[in-house]
Amino acid sequence: MSAASTIPVVSFRGIGKRFPGTVALQGVSFDVMPGTCHALVGENGAGKSTLGKILAGLYRPDEGHLEIDGVLRRFCSPLEAQRVGVGIVHQDLSFCPNLTVAENICLSRLPNRSGRMDWLELHRQARACLDEIGADCDVQEELGRLTTGQTQMVQIAAALATGARILVMDEPTSSLSAAESRRLEKLIGRLQQRGTTIIYVSHRMDEIFRLCDTVTVMRDGQHVATKPVAQTDEAELIQLMIGRAWTRFFPRHLARPAGAEQLRVEKFSSPGKFYDVGFALHSGEVLGVAGLVGAGRSEMALGIFGLDVNRTGRIFVKGRKVAIRSPREAMALSIGLVSEDRKTQGLILGMSCGDNVTLCSLEHLSRCGIICLPRERTVIADFFGRLRVKAASPQVLARVLSGGNQQKLVLAKWLARQCRILILDEPTRGVDIGAKAEIHQLIEELAADGCAILMISSELPEVLNLSSRVMVMRNGRVRQILNRAEATEERVMQLMAGRAGAEITNHLSSAAKN
Amino acid sequence: MTPDEMPFGISAPPARRKLFRFQETGLLGVIFVLGLALTIFGGSLQIRQPNAGTVETVNKFLRADNLGMLANNASFFAIMAVGEAFVIITGGIDLSVGAIYCLSAVCGAMFLSYFGPGGAGSGASPTWVVPAAILLCMGVGTVCGLLNGAGVVLLGIHPFVITLGTLAIYRGIAFVLTKAQAYTNFPSQFTDGFIRHQLWWHGHALYPVPLLIMLGVTAAAGWYLKHAVTGRHVFAIGGNEQAALFSGLPVKRVKLKVYAFSGLTAGIAAIIMLGYYGSASSDAGTGYELGVIAASVVGGASLVGGHGTAWGALLGALIIQMIGNGIIILNIDQNYSQIIIGSVIIIAVLWDRINTALRERRLTKSAQAVKQTSMEN
Repeated sequence: MSAASTIPVVSFRGIGKRFPGTVALQGVSFDVMPGTCHALVGENGAGKSTLGKILAGLYRPDEGHLEIDGVLRRFCSPLEAQRVGVGIVHQDLSFCPNLTVAENICLSRLPNRSGRMDWLELHRQARACLDEIGADCDVQEELGRLTTGQTQMVQIAAALATGARILVMDEPTSSLSAAESRRLEKLIGRLQQRGTTIIYVSHRMDEIFRLCDTVTVMRDGQHVATKPVAQTDEAELIQLMIGRAWTRFFPRHLARPAGAEQLRVEKFSSPGKFYDVGFALHSGEVLGVAGLVGAGRSEMALGIFGLDVNRTGRIFVKGRKVAIRSPREAMALSIGLVSEDRKTQGLILGMSCGDNVTLCSLEHLSRCGIICLPRERTVIADFFGRLRVKAASPQVLARVLSGGNQQKLVLAKWLARQCRILILDEPTRGVDIGAKAEIHQLIEELAADGCAILMISSELPEVLNLSSRVMVMRNGRVRQILNRAEATEERVMQLMAGRAGAEITNHLSSAAKN
Repeated sequence: MTPDEMPFGISAPPARRKLFRFQETGLLGVIFVLGLALTIFGGSLQIRQPNAGTVETVNKFLRADNLGMLANNASFFAIMAVGEAFVIITGGIDLSVGAIYCLSAVCGAMFLSYFGPGGAGSGASPTWVVPAAILLCMGVGTVCGLLNGAGVVLLGIHPFVITLGTLAIYRGIAFVLTKAQAYTNFPSQFTDGFIRHQLWWHGHALYPVPLLIMLGVTAAAGWYLKHAVTGRHVFAIGGNEQAALFSGLPVKRVKLKVYAFSGLTAGIAAIIMLGYYGSASSDAGTGYELGVIAASVVGGASLVGGHGTAWGALLGALIIQMIGNGIIILNIDQNYSQIIIGSVIIIAVLWDRINTALRERRLTKSAQAVKQTSMEN
C-alpha cells in the first residue's frame, strides 16, 4: 500500500456501548485503512451493526472514541457524521417510502429558491447521482414502489451525494436477489476504485472473500481479530465467529433411548420461507437444527407454533393430526416456543421478572380468573431457585437483567406452563458463558425428564454436543437429518454451507492433524 | 470500567408495584400541597346562618359545601378516567368516552322521564324503574365500548381513528334521539332517593353517593388489575403486544374487554350525572374526553402502554378538578383556567418522563453490574 494510506481512515478506540439490560459493545478497537473494503463479520448479536451505527452517528458510544483520518470525532447526529464523509446504507433505515426517489436522494438539502422547491434542479441532481453509480430508475417514482435492490441503489446514491467517502453497508445483500447482489458487488468494486472506503457488515462468507480486503471478526460485543482476507479462510472465520474454543464448556449429551413420538411434521411448507420440512420428535430427545441465518429455521418454528398464516402441511402431536392456528392452540397441545428474540418476542421488559415467569401459566394459578397470589409467588420463587436467576428480587423489571438471566426467565415461563414439547430458538444467543452452561444443563435435564426438545442454534458446538440427532437446513429445506454418530462438525458444516463446505472440510481435517 | 466503579452487589432496583405506590404517594402529596395552598391563600368567607341568625366565618376552600362539590364534580371524571386508564395501559386510547357518557345519559334520561312524574308511564313502580334505568345506562355504555373494541380488533384500525369516528357517531345518535331537547322530571326515587341522597353534617347538606360509587369503581378496578388474570394480561399487552401474542395471551379478547369497560365506566358516570343534575341533553359531556385522558395520564398512565393504575387515574381527576376549583377560589380570571390546566398536564407528564429517564439510567448501570458479576463467577 502507498504511503498515503498509512494513516487509518477510521480508528475505533475502546468503543463500548450499553443498552438497558445488555452490553452491546465492549472495548472494541481496530483500524480501517483508506480505500479498502473492510468486512465486519460475526453472529447475530455480536455487535457489528451497533458498531456501524456508532460510526454513522446514529448511536453515541458510552466509552471510547472514534478517529477519522487520525482526528478525534464525536458524532451527535448522523448529520455530523455526514459532514466528515461517513454514509450508511441500511436495510431497515431506508428513507421515506412515501417520497419520490429524487426527494429521498436530496432530502437533507432540497434545492430551493427561498423556500420554493426547484423541481427541475432536484430531478437533475438526483439523476446525476444515480448515473454516477450506474443505477437506472425513475427519479420521479415513489421510493416505496421500488424493489429492495433499487432502494439500496438509491440509498447508496444518496450517501455518495452527501460526499461520503466512508460507506457503512449493513447486511446489504440480505434481501437482494442473486442478480441484484451481483450488480451491487460490481458497484462496490467501482466505488473502491474511486477511493471510497467501505465497511461491509455481513455474515455471508462467499461475499467477503470476493469483495473485501480486510476482515474484522466480532463476538459477543468484543473484537476478536482483524486480518487481511488473503491470510485467512472461511473455516477460520467461522471458528472465530462461533468460538470453537468454548467447546470444552459444553456438557456432552448423554445417549438415552428415545421415547414415544411427541411431534411429527410432514410436508410442512410456507412459500418463500421453508419448503417440505418433515421430521419426528420423540420424548427425551433433543433434535438440533443447524443452518446458516436465513435457512428458514426460525420461520419453521413460528409455523409450528401457529404464527404463520401461509403454512401448509401436516402436524401430528402424539400421533394425532392437529390444526394449530394460534399460539394458544399450540400451548393447549403442550407446545412451548422460546423465540429467537427475547426482547421483542419473549419478554414484557417493562413488567417484573416474576410476572413474566407466570405470564403463560396464569390460568393454572388462578380460580375463576382471579390469580392466587401466594401460589404465584411460590411458583416464581421455585423457578428462580431452580434456574438460578440472578435478580435482586422477583419484583425487579425484566429490562434490568442481563441477557443470560432474561433468557432464563423466558425458559422459566414455558417450564412453568409444563410444556412437554419445547421449541428453543437460539436458546443461548447473547448469553454470557456461565448462564450458557446453566442453560445447557437445563436442556439436558429437561430431556432426561422426558421433554421433547427441538433446538435451533447457530452455534455448531452447541448443536453437536446437546443433540440426539441433528437436522441441517439450508435455503428453507431440510438437507439431512443426521444421527449422533454421523453428526460430525465437518459433515454438518458441509451440509449447512453447501458447495463452499468442501473447503471447510479440508481445512478442518488439516487443522486436526496439526 | 475502572475497578472502583465495579459494583459489589446488585442495588435493588425499584419494583413495579413499589414504584406505583411511590407514584401514587406523589400524587397524594400534590393534592395535599394544592389543598394546603388553597386553604392558606384562598381566604375566608362569611356565611349568614339563616336559622340561627349568626354570621359564621369559614375557609373558602376548606368548607363542606366546596369540598363536597369538588368531590362530586371529580367523580364523573374519575370514574371515566379509571376506564380510560385500562385502555391506555393496553397502549390504546378511547376518545369517545364523552360521547358514550352523553348517549348513555340521554337514553337513561328518556327512559326515566317517560316513567317520571310527568311522563306517560308515570304509574310504574320505582322498584323496577330505577334498577332498569341503571342497567340501561350501563348497558348502552358497554355496547358502545364493545363496538369501539370490535372496530379496533376486527378492522385493525388505530384506536385513535376508530374512537374519533365513534365520538361523532355516538353524539350524533344522542342528537337524533333527543331532537336536541333536554329531558327532565325523573322519578324522585332515582334522584333524591338514590344519587342525591342527603346527609346532614353540622348543618351542611352532603351527597355521599357519587363519591361512594367513585371509590367503589376505582377499588374494584384497582383490585382487578392486580389480582385478575385479565388484569395482568392488560399490562402485558401494553408492555409488548408481540411478546403477549407469542405467549399465547388472548390479545383480541382482552382489548375488546378494555374498550367495553371504558364504555361501562362512561355509563356509570352517566347514571351519577342523571341523578345529580336531574336532567340530560345531547350536549352533555362535550369535550370530556380530553379531561378524562388528562386525568389518567396525570395519574401515571403511559400513552405508550404498559403502565398505569386505577387509583392514579382517580387522583389525577381530583388534581385537575382541584386546579379548576382553585382558580375560582383564588379569584383568578376564569379565562386563564384552560391555560393553567393545560400547563399542569404537560408538567405532570414531563415530570414522569424525567423520572423514567433517571430510572432507566440507574437500571443500565445495575445491568452492567449483573453482567460483570456473572462473568466473574
